[in-house]
Parts: sequence; structure tokens; C-alpha cells
Amino acid sequence: MNRAFLIPAIVVFVFLFVIPLGQSFYWSLTDFTGYDPELSFIGLANYSTILNDPSMLAGLGFTLMFAVGTMVVVTLVAIPLAVQMNKAFFGKNFVRSLWFFPAVPSMAILGLVWSYILSPLPSGVLNTLLNRWFGVDAVSWLSDDTLARWSVVFVGVWAQAGWHAVLYLAYLQSIPHEYYEVAKIDGASPRQQFFGITLPLLTPAMVISSFLLLTNGLKVFDLPYTLTGGGPGFSTYTITQSIIVSGVSQGRYGLASALAVMFTVAVGVIGFSQLKLTSVISRRFV
Amino acid sequence: MRRTLIVGAAGAAALALTLTACSGSDSGESDGVTTVTLLSWTGEEQMTPVIEDFEASNPDVKIEASYSPPVAEYIQTLQTRVLSGTAPDVFLIAAENKTNLIDAGSVIDLAGEPFMENIAEFNRETYGRDGAEYGLSTSSWAAGYAYNKEMLAEVGYDGIPETWDEFLEMCKKLQDAGHTPFLESVDQMPTTVSAMVGAKTAEMDPSVDDLIFSGESTFEEQWTPIVEEYNRLYTEGIVSSDVVALDGDQVRDEFANERVAIINAGPWIIGAVKEANPELDFTFGQIPGLADGAPYQAGAASPGYAINSASDEAHQEAAKTFLAYLSSPQGVEVMQAQTNDVTVTDDFEPPVDPVFEPMVEPIRSGDLYLPMISWQRSEDILNVEAVAQMQRMIQGQIEPVDVTKAMDAKLATS
Repeated sequence: MNRAFLIPAIVVFVFLFVIPLGQSFYWSLTDFTGYDPELSFIGLANYSTILNDPSMLAGLGFTLMFAVGTMVVVTLVAIPLAVQMNKAFFGKNFVRSLWFFPAVPSMAILGLVWSYILSPLPSGVLNTLLNRWFGVDAVSWLSDDTLARWSVVFVGVWAQAGWHAVLYLAYLQSIPHEYYEVAKIDGASPRQQFFGITLPLLTPAMVISSFLLLTNGLKVFDLPYTLTGGGPGFSTYTITQSIIVSGVSQGRYGLASALAVMFTVAVGVIGFSQLKLTSVISRRFV
Repeated sequence: MRRTLIVGAAGAAALALTLTACSGSDSGESDGVTTVTLLSWTGEEQMTPVIEDFEASNPDVKIEASYSPPVAEYIQTLQTRVLSGTAPDVFLIAAENKTNLIDAGSVIDLAGEPFMENIAEFNRETYGRDGAEYGLSTSSWAAGYAYNKEMLAEVGYDGIPETWDEFLEMCKKLQDAGHTPFLESVDQMPTTVSAMVGAKTAEMDPSVDDLIFSGESTFEEQWTPIVEEYNRLYTEGIVSSDVVALDGDQVRDEFANERVAIINAGPWIIGAVKEANPELDFTFGQIPGLADGAPYQAGAASPGYAINSASDEAHQEAAKTFLAYLSSPQGVEVMQAQTNDVTVTDDFEPPVDPVFEPMVEPIRSGDLYLPMISWQRSEDILNVEAVAQMQRMIQGQIEPVDVTKAMDAKLATS
């Protein structure tokens, strides 16, 4: 009887994941253009094109950099932030809201706003401030390959750190105070309390947070697209942008489907590996 | 329980009836009135007066319009509707979907229709193939250089010079006078390159694209000298490589705030610039020609109205009535009042903002070129590659010839 509760989830999973994935796999074996329903079966030709055309995988490097970069930096920022926000201080709720706010607007809007802030022109918002306060010449935030990549990662971290800090905060509040009181009686310093109690008990939250960050990072599209358009050159191009551009803009749905299938499998493997790894780590502490 | 089932069944029946009603509405023909469905990328606010005026003079045809903003969202919406068999009777054929719509046989041939006769040949050919004409395009657009008259006058010029060498010389004088001489957004194909290729191909028969796409020549052979000249802007220190991170709006804002003397631009900046800086004295000029070429401009025929080949005969006939109205002097006047486009029908003279006056004659003559719409296949594939490689060239990572070689390689594999 209890299994009946699984039916809605199974229906959603089948209709919104299994069937579209199956259809994508079917299209990936065809020359489907998105307009003409009459399509030809071309076997693995689309997969061969992807593996032999470097520009199709141009976004792979930056996609991995963004996913891993945001996962690591957000985790490093969000945990101390959550610890601070868990303390009693004046305006605590306001500060929590302030940090959470960047998670409210869409990434596309944030990208547009930050493109003005990080404009490489002397009139860019950040460059103007740096020049006025420190006399620094205009910095090529978005027009230098390396700076552009890190700028996108920075905005990604800025947008997500508060949300993940709130996630950690929820777990922090479930840690019994008695643990800290006992530790204090035993003479543990705040640093020892953090590494001996807080961090180990936050590992379940870290599993969830890092999994969400990694999977969202791997499928990122809207932020780099609106902030840099994938440029300069292909330096901030992402796999998802490649799929959308190939499919929608270029009418190569067969090719885009093949890329999507390969990417889904890769994300599945990476996500599964990450879950296994973090659960092993988690079991050592909890 | 029983009541729940009845309510559920009634709800499902109501939903089914609603859906049935919806699906039938697009082919409705009652009381002698034929309903023509339209997917417009001109906004509802601008399109409503046009539709109202049409329906007032054609009471036997009703237009049922739906709207989708250009460009990507429109292309996606239309593509989905074409594939699902729910495409409207009338929709827009544009640079981005031209090849796919024609290849899939989704649009009917309008050649020989009386309402196509007053349309400029350039516009008819843009959305045609092998003598067939698939889109009613009543206007064109062009981009050239917008310039600050005062800044140019300061260094002794009253307009954009006719040759590229003279233009670069003027830019250096502006630089010496303390101005940023020129900015051009490179998030799309640079206007300068498009215009220079256009000037070259206008003097050739067969055209540059005929040679490249027939395999008789290559981008490396035809485009490299032009890209090399364009790259002088960056190698000679006239323009900062920071332009690779700028979009058209940011360049426009720099111009409106008098932080740059010249930018690449089209008529779409006029309203925003005048609003931001009503005192700014500016106008437009053509893009200078290379040593062996004349000044030219980037541009293309605006998207054309096409008729769905899957619509039945009655709806196609009613759709033609709508297209006939759109190409008539009355229809063009009403539409032009809403969009401010430069129209190209031979029986209506469009009023144009005085600052854009220098560009009107080239537009109406069809002296326009845009690679994205002139290329004969793989348009977006080549465009994405060309833009990315030019950004790398501007950063000094590759040479001009590497840009054109990459385009050839892309064409060969697509």
C-alpha cells in the first residue's frame, strides 16, 4: 500500500526524464533538423562528429572549471558564513536575508547586471570605483580569457553562497548544544569545537550542497551566456550552450541530441561518483 | 468517492471540450469570415493598429494573432509549432530559419503574386531560392557608423572619410585630441567586416559567396585581406581589445555619454541616444571602403511574411489578402508609423529621422550585405565560429588568416 505513494514520483520521472531521454537518444541517431518530421537514421555519425570536432567540446573545460570551482569555493564560503549567522547578534535576520537575496533573481538577470559592473571599460562600475579609490587603471575583467573565467565563477559563488549557507544553517541548528557545553567543560577551544563537532556533523549537509552545486554547475548556461556570451572566443563557452546553439539556432537537433545524451551520461557518472565519495567520507564522521 | 469520480469525470470532459474548441479555432470559417492565424514578432502594441486597420477594410478576414519576441524565442516557438503541425497561417521567415523552412517545404512560393510586384528586388531575393520567393519583406535595415559631429569637427572632419586609410588616420587624430576614437561591439559579426565584404561582393559576378559555397574559392582567399585591414584597428592601438566583452547596448551608452566619437550602429540606437543625451549632435555615415572598394553598409532585408504550406487553400487565399494589405501603400504606412522601419516598396516614401537620412538611399537601393543571411548554408555555424575566432584575433591570440582558415574548416565539416 505504501508503495502507492511512489506512483506520482514514478509518473513524473517517466514522463519528464525517461521518455525525453529516450526520444533524445532516438534523435541522436538521426539527421533531425527540428523542422522536417521526415528524418533519416544515420547511426552513430552524430557521436563521431562530436568526438572529431574540437569546437563541439569547446565548452567542456570551462564547464568543469565552473562546476568544480563553484562547488569548492561556495562550500568554503558558506560553512563559515553559516556558523557566523548561527550566532546571536543585532540584525541577524536582516543579514541572513541579505545573503540569501542573490539566490532570488534568475541567473540571467544577475549576469546582465554584473556585465555592467565588470565592464572592462574605464566607465565600468567596478573599474570606476577602483580608479577613484586606488588610482588603478581599468582592469579587463571580461575581456581577458583567464579573468573572464574567474569572473563568471565569482558571480556564480556570489549568487549561490547565501542559499547554501542557509542550508548549512538548518543543519547547524539541529546540532545539540550539549555537545558544545561538554566540549567547553573539557577545555576545547572554539577552533577545536568547529573541527571536532561542527564540521563532522555538517557532512550530510555537505553531501547535499556539493551534489547540488556540482550538478547545477555542470549544466550551467544562463549566467555565462548573459555575462560573457561564452567569450572571449570560446573561453567561457559551456556544454549546455553548445547543445542549445547546435540544436535551436543551427537546426541540428540530431547532433545536439547526441551531445545531450553524452552529457547526461557524463553528469550521471560524475554525480554518482561524487555521491559515493561523499557518503564514504560522511560515514567516517557520523 | 462516487461524487469525486463524477466531479473528476466532469472536469476531464470540460477540459477535453475546451481543448477541442481551442484546436478548432485556428481553422474557423463561419458567416463568410475566414480566420487567419498569425505569429508576429512585432509586439502586440505595434501590431494591433495594423490588424484593426486591415480588418476594417477586409471584413471577410479576421486575424488571430499570437506574439513571440525576436529572435531566438520566436524561432524556437515557430519551429515547435511547425513540427507539431500547429503552425499559424502566416509567420515570419528570417535569416535564422530561412534555410530550414525552405528545405522542409513549410512555406509557399509567392513569386508572381501581385502584392510582390512593388517590393524591392533585393528583398524578394533575400527570402527566395531558385526563382521562388517565400517572404514578403517590406523594409530593410542597415548599420553604419554613428558619429559625434562635434568631436569630428574638433579634428577637422565633417563626416566619415571614404577610405579605410583616411578613417584610421582620423581615428589617430581623435586619439591625439584625447578622445576614444572608435568602439565596435564584437558579440556579433563586426559591422565593419560585413560592410567591407559587401562592398567587395557588390563589384563581383559571381559573388564572393557564390565562389566560396561552390567550392571555387575559400574564405581564406576572399576574406583574409579584409580581416587583415579590420585588424589594424587593434594592432595599431586605435581600439582596445576590451571590445570583445562589450555588447551593442554598452557601446551605445558610451556614445550617448560622449565617451567615444564613433561607433557601429543602426537606427535602433537613435531613440535611446536622444533620450539619454538630447543635446548630442550626431548622425550616421557609411563604412569606409578599402583601397579598391567604395563605402558600404551592413544590413539586410527585414524578415518577410510567409504563408504556411500546410494551411488549406481557403486560409492561404485569406492569408494572401492580408499580405496584399501589408504591401499596399495604406498597409505600409500604418505599419511604418508603428515600427519606424525604412520601407522598400516603390509606392510609399517612408518618413525617417533626420540623423539617419544618410543611410536611407543605400537601404532603399538594396546596397546591403550581411554574411549571416547571404551565406548559402550553415549560416549560424559559420557565424558562431567567425565571431569567436575574431575575438581571439582581437586579443592577439591568432592572426587574421587563422580566422578565415577556421571558417573554411567549419564549412568543410558542416
